Amino acid sequence: MDRSRRQIIKQGAGLALVASLPSAVTRALAQGGETLRIGALNPVTGAGSPYGGGMQKAIILAASEINALGGVGGRKIEIFAEDSETSPEAGVRAAKKLIEVNKVQALLGTWSSGVAAAVMPLTDAAGIVHSTNAGASNITSSKGLMFRYSGLSVRVGEALGRFAAKRGHTRLATMAFNNPSGREITGGAKAAWEKLGHQLVGEVIYEPNRPSYRSEVQKILAANPDAIVMGAYLPDFISILRETRQAGSNVKFYTPAWTVNQSLIDAVGPKATEGVYVHDYVAALDSAAFKSFVDRFRKATGIDATENYYACCAYDMMVVVGLAAEAAAGKGALQDSMRTVANPPGDVVYDFAQGQKLLKEGRKINYEGASGPIDFDQMGNVKPLFKLSEIKDGKVTMIGKVFEDY
Amino acid sequence: MNTWSFYANLALNGLVEGLLIGLAALALNLVFAVGRFPNAATGDFMTVGAYAGFGAHYLGGNIVVQSGAAMLAGAAVGLLSYFAVFRKLAGRPMVAALLASIGLGFVYRSVVSLFAGHDPRFFPMGTVSAINIGGVRIRDTDVWLAGIALLCMAVALAVLHLTPVGRQMRAVADNAVLAQASGIRSRRVMFALWAMAGMITGVAGLMLGIRTAVSPELGWGMLLPAFAAAVVGGVGSPAGAILGGVMLGIAQELSTPWLGFSYKIALSFVALAVMLLVRPQGLFGQKEAVR
Repeated sequence: MDRSRRQIIKQGAGLALVASLPSAVTRALAQGGETLRIGALNPVTGAGSPYGGGMQKAIILAASEINALGGVGGRKIEIFAEDSETSPEAGVRAAKKLIEVNKVQALLGTWSSGVAAAVMPLTDAAGIVHSTNAGASNITSSKGLMFRYSGLSVRVGEALGRFAAKRGHTRLATMAFNNPSGREITGGAKAAWEKLGHQLVGEVIYEPNRPSYRSEVQKILAANPDAIVMGAYLPDFISILRETRQAGSNVKFYTPAWTVNQSLIDAVGPKATEGVYVHDYVAALDSAAFKSFVDRFRKATGIDATENYYACCAYDMMVVVGLAAEAAAGKGALQDSMRTVANPPGDVVYDFAQGQKLLKEGRKINYEGASGPIDFDQMGNVKPLFKLSEIKDGKVTMIGKVFEDY
Repeated sequence: MNTWSFYANLALNGLVEGLLIGLAALALNLVFAVGRFPNAATGDFMTVGAYAGFGAHYLGGNIVVQSGAAMLAGAAVGLLSYFAVFRKLAGRPMVAALLASIGLGFVYRSVVSLFAGHDPRFFPMGTVSAINIGGVRIRDTDVWLAGIALLCMAVALAVLHLTPVGRQMRAVADNAVLAQASGIRSRRVMFALWAMAGMITGVAGLMLGIRTAVSPELGWGMLLPAFAAAVVGGVGSPAGAILGGVMLGIAQELSTPWLGFSYKIALSFVALAVMLLVRPQGLFGQKEAVR
């Protein structure tokens, strides 16, 4: 455990302070005029908990910065924050409350595909923008209301499958957490693998929260693979990795980033994590937007955003919606302005203040965020940056370069 | 790996899972037999035990200290729950205590997450060695778990049948009014009961936490399988709970070559439904098991 109770309480108090800022400001002004009401629906608890708290704080930070500049189109932003618990049931409950009670005009920061898929019909019915990090390909709004700030799970899987082939593996197997994201990652790996003329040697789909994954591991090892692509989350991956090594196997693992952090290495030991390869989205590490965000985020919350790609995304979600609201003020729907402010052509801007200034001068802008270039295609998807790493001597080390395309 | 050892390993996995479920079911059944209601906070007692054990680990305690901390914490929440809530509901309909226990579970979960946060915590176990007997791999941790489960069951049975307070417990289970009329002090009986049930649940939570992740939702997810095991084994029967858990666990794992890993979980609920239809008192239950 790396945090004492006192620290947690201190952080909690800090969060409460930050959280109270925008609403306190807006409440005071609310009598004077209407506010732009934004729902922050994030995985504060459950499988997304390593990221969700940071995501919510990033949205709140962005909103308070925008409000400090006077808001958008003369309106202050008011944030309504909820926890999706990384569970579709809880996510829908919270989304209903945000939409029906709080009357939010955009919903930001759903993270897992299960939650995003369950909430999407509600945001579509309400006709509001829904910004997400979910990776399932079926999460696309027929009304053009979905905006995705990271990649499709199936692409993560394809990258992992191709990477495994490039590293000379010949007997690939897959294991998937039974949800859309997990299955699409392994589905992508399978597609890429078969395109190269190979066959998978084994496939297992497993259920969440099991006391043990030993039978699942036994089944997959019986196929004698030399590498396994995982569509997994952290707790189940720890269990599976441990069981695999205990069974005496040195099989390599190819896995998405959210299954790997220091707790994994601490829990199973550096030796067992040897031979784990990681696909990771990467924020725009060299961009001014990223560096400035990391500094401000650390000052406001004490959290290191370099460890939380999704907080970078969440921050950008709020800034893009803010800019789009500024551009759309008095002209039309929010969703129609999302591409106007985020996509080329236009003057490249790295923060809200700059973007707002140019918009007021009647210029077309192209926001480049902390999380990446953020250019939405017709489906509302961006092309995220990603990298591949391996765990060596208990450290996650990047291999090769940052990839901009798949 | 030959076919025999493949299935033997599956059965062994089932046995280990079943023992975990069985421990939780044992605590459920003890409370049910004497307190006369299904304690839905059992899962959250487990969570508290797991966090206490993790705290002991954080402070440098070994497995014995961790187990001690988990048992103490389990007993503490058990007694707190009884004296603060369930004692006042004695004599009311069973559903009142059941609903109160669901609420109490939420309270414990929230308190735990308030102080410990939502991030899952992991015991740095590394990997453990295994004894290989003809392709069947038995891990140290499994032997530990089996030992603790059997010890808990033995202690529970010994307390019930060999000690004065156990005899009184059985008397209360049989007929609370008559027991009181014959001079049995129910407070002492209940104290012993909740302390014992809490200890068992606490250590079960620790065992589960060591194997998986310690999170505020840890125990809640175990509640339904534990209910199923308690019903299959016989509601109110301590030995039945462990056996019910083990049978469910083994059946689940052995079904995987045919059912796959997604549907094996449904099997315990099919077993639960069938058992309720065919033999509602369970495999080992009599009408009043703890007598």
